Order: sequence, then C-alpha cells, then structure tokens
Amino acid sequence: MAAGTSVRESLKEMKRLKNEPLLLLAIIVIILFVGFFVVYPVIKVILFPGVEDYMQLFHKARWFKAVKNSLFMTLISTISCTAVAFLFAYVIARLDVPCKKLFRFVTLLPIVSPPFIVALSYILLFGVQGIVTKQLLGLQVDIYGRLGLWIVQTVTFFPYAYSVIYGVIRSISTNLEYAAYNMGATRWQVFRDVFWPLCRPGVAGGALVAAINVLTDFGNPQMIGGDLALLPTEAYMQISGWYDMKTASVLAVALLIPAVVLFLVQRFWVGRRSYVTITGKEISLNPFPVPKWVKWTLFSLTMFISLFILLVYGTLCYGAFTKAWGYDWTLTMENIQYVFQKGHQIWNSIRYAFCASLGAAFLAMVLAYIVQKKQVGVNKLLDFLGILPGAIPGMFLGIGFVMAFNTPPLELTGTSIIMILALLFWNIPTCYSSATAGLQQIGASVEDAALNLGANSFRSFKDVIIPLLKAPFMSSFVLSFLRSVTCLSVVIFLYAPATTVGTVSVMVLVQSGQWGEAAAFTLVLITIAFTVLKLAQWILGKQGIELEL
Amino acid sequence: MAYIEFKNVVKRFGDFTALDHVSLEIPKGAFVTLLGPSGCGKTTLMRQLAGFSEPEEGDVLVDGKRMNGLPPFKRNTPLVFQEYALFPHMTVYENISYGLKLVKEPKEEIGRRVSEMLEMFNLMGLEKRFPREMSGGQQQRVAFARALVMGQEILLLDEPLSNLDAKLRVDVRTELRQIQRKLGITAIYVTHDQDEALSMSDIIAVMRQGRIEQIGTPWEIYFRPANRFVADFVGTVNFLDAKVLTASAHVLTVDHCGMELRVPTEIPASAGEEITLVVRPECIHLAAEGETLPEGAVLNGTIENYSFLGRMIRYWVRVGEETFVIDDANVDLSGARSGDVKLCLDAHKLHILKDGGAHADC
Repeated sequence: MAAGTSVRESLKEMKRLKNEPLLLLAIIVIILFVGFFVVYPVIKVILFPGVEDYMQLFHKARWFKAVKNSLFMTLISTISCTAVAFLFAYVIARLDVPCKKLFRFVTLLPIVSPPFIVALSYILLFGVQGIVTKQLLGLQVDIYGRLGLWIVQTVTFFPYAYSVIYGVIRSISTNLEYAAYNMGATRWQVFRDVFWPLCRPGVAGGALVAAINVLTDFGNPQMIGGDLALLPTEAYMQISGWYDMKTASVLAVALLIPAVVLFLVQRFWVGRRSYVTITGKEISLNPFPVPKWVKWTLFSLTMFISLFILLVYGTLCYGAFTKAWGYDWTLTMENIQYVFQKGHQIWNSIRYAFCASLGAAFLAMVLAYIVQKKQVGVNKLLDFLGILPGAIPGMFLGIGFVMAFNTPPLELTGTSIIMILALLFWNIPTCYSSATAGLQQIGASVEDAALNLGANSFRSFKDVIIPLLKAPFMSSFVLSFLRSVTCLSVVIFLYAPATTVGTVSVMVLVQSGQWGEAAAFTLVLITIAFTVLKLAQWILGKQGIELEL
Repeated sequence: MAYIEFKNVVKRFGDFTALDHVSLEIPKGAFVTLLGPSGCGKTTLMRQLAGFSEPEEGDVLVDGKRMNGLPPFKRNTPLVFQEYALFPHMTVYENISYGLKLVKEPKEEIGRRVSEMLEMFNLMGLEKRFPREMSGGQQQRVAFARALVMGQEILLLDEPLSNLDAKLRVDVRTELRQIQRKLGITAIYVTHDQDEALSMSDIIAVMRQGRIEQIGTPWEIYFRPANRFVADFVGTVNFLDAKVLTASAHVLTVDHCGMELRVPTEIPASAGEEITLVVRPECIHLAAEGETLPEGAVLNGTIENYSFLGRMIRYWVRVGEETFVIDDANVDLSGARSGDVKLCLDAHKLHILKDGGAHADC
C-alpha cells in the first residue's frame, strides 16, 4: 500500500519534470555520466574473469594469503588507528592541556600529504641506509613487512578516524556528565555509563573510515610491504609485471567486496546510531577535570605521537636537501633542481587535479541541489549515485578505466582525459557530501521568498542559490584538489610517459632507491597542497566563511 | 464582495488530505486569521494562495481572477515567513530592494521606497548590515519591510511572531495591526496563538484536520463557538452537560444534577433534549457572604484547589459531575477561599451547544 503510493507520487513528480526541461536534462546527463564512468567500468572488471579465474583465489596459495593478509592488516591497523584517534580527540576536546594547536596541526598534516609519505620517511629513518638504524645505532635490520607497515598505516590513517570521533565528542554536552555526577556516579562510572556509550557511534564511524582507507591503501604497502602479499600490491604487480588483466581483476574484486561491506556498514548502520542531537541553544559547562596523573599520561602519549609525526616530516625535509642519504650527508639543492627539471610532472599533477576537482565540484553541486531542493521522483537513485563511487577503492576504479576505455568508441588510454575523468569520479562522493552539508544550511524558504518577491525560477537560482553555494562549492573543490594532487592509487594504472604525475614519480624513485629526489618531489607536492589550502581559507575567510575539511 | 476567495479547495499529500474542501471568503482590507493547532492545514491553505503548491481541486480567486496554475512569482502576494527567510548574502538594503529591482524600478524610486520602509520599521542606519548581524526583532522588521515595499494589496503572514520573546510579540502585533489599517492592505495571518488571533483579527477562521470549523469575528468565536473543539481551542472553557426541562421562546430552563439554570438563548431546543453549556471562567464569580443570589443562575460547588496569580485567583471547583475553572479577579488580602461555595453565572454570556457539541448551528 505505502509502496504503491510512493511509486504513484514518484510518477507524478516525474511527470512534472516535463515543464522543466533544463532540470530533466541535468538529471539525464548525471545518470548517464555516472552510469558510464562508474557503473560500467565496475561491471567490466567484475565480468572480465571467468568462474575458474575466481576459483584461483582459493586454489592458489599466494592469492589466498593476499586476501588473509589484507584483512589482517586492516584489522590491526584499524584498531591502532582508532585508539590513537580517540586519544587525540579526547585530549583535544576534553582536557585542559597546552600544545593543542600542535596536536591539531599534526592531525591536519596527513590530509595534505600523499599517502605514502610516512612510508618514505620511515625508510629514511630506519631503513638499510636509515639515519637511526645505520648512522646512530649501526644496525642492519629488515624493516620491510608487517610491523613496519602497521606503524606506518597507523600514523597515516588515524587522522581520518580522528575527525569523525572529534566531531562526536565535541557535540556531547558536558551537562550530561554533570547530571551523572550529580546523581552520585564516580569518575569511572561516568566514563563507562555516560561518556563512552555516547561516543560509541562516533568511534565505530571513525574506525570504519580508517578501515576503508587501510584496506585500499596502495602507496604504503608498495613501498614498505616488502614480501608481504596484499591485494592492492599483488593486483598492481599482475598488471605492471605480467599484463595479466584476468588475475588482476580477480584480486581487485576480492578487494572490492570487503570495501563495499565496510562502506555499507558505515553508511547505513553507524549512520543511524547517532544519539547526538544539536539543539544549538544548550550551554555546556567546562568539562569536569580528570585526575592529574591521567591527564598528564594522556598528554605525554599524545605528545610522543605528535613528535614522531613531526620527525617524519622533518626527516623528509632533511632528505630533500641531502646529497646521498646514508652515504653523503652534505646539504644540496640538487634534488630540488631535479624536481624542477621534471616540472612537467608537477604541472600535470596540478593541471589534472584542478580540472578534475572543478568538474567533480560542479557535478556534485548540481546533483546535491537536485536531491536536496527538488522533488523529481528519483531522488533516492540520484543520492545513491552521489555516494556510490565512495564504495569503490581507487585502484579498482583505475583498473576499471583501463579495461573500459582502451578500445573505441572511447579510446582514452594514455591521454590526459582519462586521468582527469578518473580523478573526477573518484572525488564525486567527497564533493557530494560537502555540497549536501552546505545546502542543508540554506533555509528551506529562502528560495520561496525570492519567488514570492517576483523572481522566476532562473532569477531565484542566480540571485539567491548560486551566491549561497559559493562556500560549499569552494570547500568541495579544495578538498577534491588536495585528494587529487596526493593521489596515487587511482592513477597508477592510467598514466603514460607524457601524463606522469608527481605521486607516480615518487613511487618510481623510491623503488630505484633515489631517496633524495623522492623526498624533494614529495615536499613540493605537500607545499602545493598546503598553499592551495591556506589560500582558499584566506580567500573565504575574507568573506566571513570558514572552510571545513 | 469577497476580494480573496477559496472555493472548495482540496490538497492531498499522498494519502494524507491536508485541505478538505475548504471555502473562505475574505473582504478587501480585512485582517483574517487562520487559527488552529499544528498540522491543521492553515499554512498549507496560505501556500495555495502564494502559489507554492497547487490544489488538486477547487479554485483560488483574487479580485475575481482565478490564480490556479499561476507561478508564485506572478501572483503579487508578498509573504512574511516564519523564520523570515532573509537572504543571508544580502544587506538589509539589498534584501528590501530585491523585489523592486526585479520589476526594474528606477534607482531613485527604489531608494525612495526603501527609505520609506526603513523609516516605517525603525531600521534607519542598519541598511548595510547583514541579517546575521542583527537581532531577531530587527530581522523580523526587515522581513516585514521586504514584503510591504512592493506596495501590493495583499500581505500574507506565516506565524511571523513565533520566534520573538513574549513581550516583544505583544508590541509588534499592535504595531502590525496599525500599519495594516493605515495601508488598507488585506492581510491573511496564520497562527496557533489564540491571543494573537483574538487581538488582531477582523475575522478568524478556526481550522482542524484540513477543515474550517468556524468562521467569525473574535467575539463570535470566543462567546459563540460552533462546537467543543473551537470552544476548547480558543481560551479556557468549562463544559456543563445539562438536560432541557422547559423551553420557551427565548429562555431555556435546564438541569444539571438537580441544579436548575435559566438560560436566555436564540437557539431553539425542546424539553428533554441533552445540551452542553459553554461557560468561560471569567463569566462566573463566587458569591460573597450575604450576597443576594440571582435566580436561575447559581450552582453549588466545592473548592478543590487554587492557584494565586497576583491579579486574580484561579479556582478549581467541583460542580456536580464536572470540575470548573473559575477566575476570580476579586482578590482578597486575606487569602484564597475554601470549602463549599455558590457560583453565580453571567447568564447572558452562556452559550449552548447541541448534540454533545459535535456540530451546532449558530
């Protein structure tokens, strides 16, 4: 009955679209685009191998091990990421300690960095030519493998979990804790019975975000995984070493399944379990002070991790200006000069990121606008299309693009277009949620008010909606740009010599042991990303808008 | 003649009927209030006139012209929104002048009319402010100015005072009524606040579940409610079930638990009929010691509880099978009364509902 009515309503809404051809056109274009550039490549990859190819996953020990290793690494790295993230969030949100600015800065750093930076730095510190291992201790240790990867992934991905957990902790009213104290609960009971249950959805959400990132991480395992067989690196090896698309597809699908599961759980299970209500009027008291020894223990831990992260970036800077890491420690500008010789690749990075982000932000904006403000009968489908690419690992999308667009009618392999398109659709979910959040801030009746004063649909869109969308558009553009400049997994299968980007160069340099050049390259990429971020914050700040990441 | 007219308007959202054959005629220059609990359809009815949604059946007429199908931007029905809906990216001046800019008024004319509004709403000197830089009361006045600057004949108001604090609300409603009278605008005002409705309106339409329950002046709505719902929704009320003993041309004699009342009324009834008496709390007073009691207007009761409110005492008094609420404005320094009392009713202000008060003719 209810389903029947809703279908009838949808049909009625769709019929009304006949009067708004522009809207109808936009919907059709979006559906076709996402269908062709996301759904089609995914299906292509899934259907490419036969059943017997898929059976290899169970028969061939190395592939089976890759599945097991990937899941295991995801599990332990996620646990450690979540623990560190909770520590940072709790200290920053609830404790009265110094150096909070430093802690916040540390959590921001990885967002403007390529995902493999920690791995690179880790090699510089503890590798065969490492400054700690060789220079200070004179040791010969093998840092490649499980333990190294675990540490590196924890440091790399905890900030993603942090931002979710911090958001939730911030919104828990301290009044609730005071209410519990008021009823006679001890500190520990308040934590266990009130604070922790309220945090739990946030912690779960943060953990899932970290898990998705760890699972699909390509850069770190590639550089530091050593012999450890993992799904992303094995798939890469199949393609780059053996041109075996069938096996690569099988491994990619094996990666896609847990990624989709994690994504669905995060989206539909955790999303509904938030107790946080934002009333806006509530005035919270200062947090109840915790015992001194607890406070300073937590502070020391946070400080230790923060210093380690600073050391990572410091090492990178040092490496960028050192002649031959491990042998000749004289300072030099040669590495930086090398980067400028390869300036074309940096230029590619900027160019592709700019175009892809512009496209993604625009498409996502239109999509979010239609889903939020127009009743078109297919809102649920459109919303799904907006978040769908988020379930697909970057490297899976890369493989999909290779397979879908290497033959006519759309032969794009090796072109700039394919790089831009892949980055564009990879960024849609990020831009979409940012645009949606921005749109929800706009009062429902503002557009009605413009219509009421005599503005037709076009005028009200131009005079009211567009100016108000500026801020969400900018923030999704910047976010997408940062992700694109530092992205490796999506483009690794798509670049050709002429379309190489910075992150790919770093990977190649690391593999041939050119640490100095690799560090210099990374440093330049981070500088670009950071400059763009600060610039955007400054421009928007002048208009009284805060850029949210 | 009706200036604005709703004719058998029906609006459905899926299976839910928001407006069920609503008809309402509004004369030119009137201040009409749509009053009702949330979800009764009052805002929906107004939105049909502004053109934000279209009725499934029925007509909306303004000055004899059918408005159905006309997009909102061609209707000239300025609306003041509940949450003001000021454009956050425009200054006060830009907000107020936006409508004039759309109809391409010359610059000087825009300037003149905007400053007229700024003066009327005491907003001088705030032209360059953004909405977020102003108090709620100021934002609200900008919203009024933005709607009135167009100089239209109609003004729609969707609970415009609900976000103001209590004292300001009383000030604004007097001011608003004066401006409406001065400009001779036909205003439709949506609210769930009975005080606002009674104090401002020429006509009140009380709505419930997508229907209009009663249309009338504030006096009619208050003293001659059409049914129990209207009586209960507008003000505090006591219901007294009674049986008609004798019926003459203009007076009924009724009985409640052995107490006899003589009620002057125009409503015809016959002996033996069950009726409901509507008695407002302020239409009763507690008889003082030795007071001569009016004949046929006295009930016996026992005080159960009271609440001292300063300017009056509210008593809860047991009368037969009912508990009455009585507001005694005659506060004595010695404190509240207790025990058995005699209630004297103001018989002329009594109102009779028939058929248990479900539906009654006025």
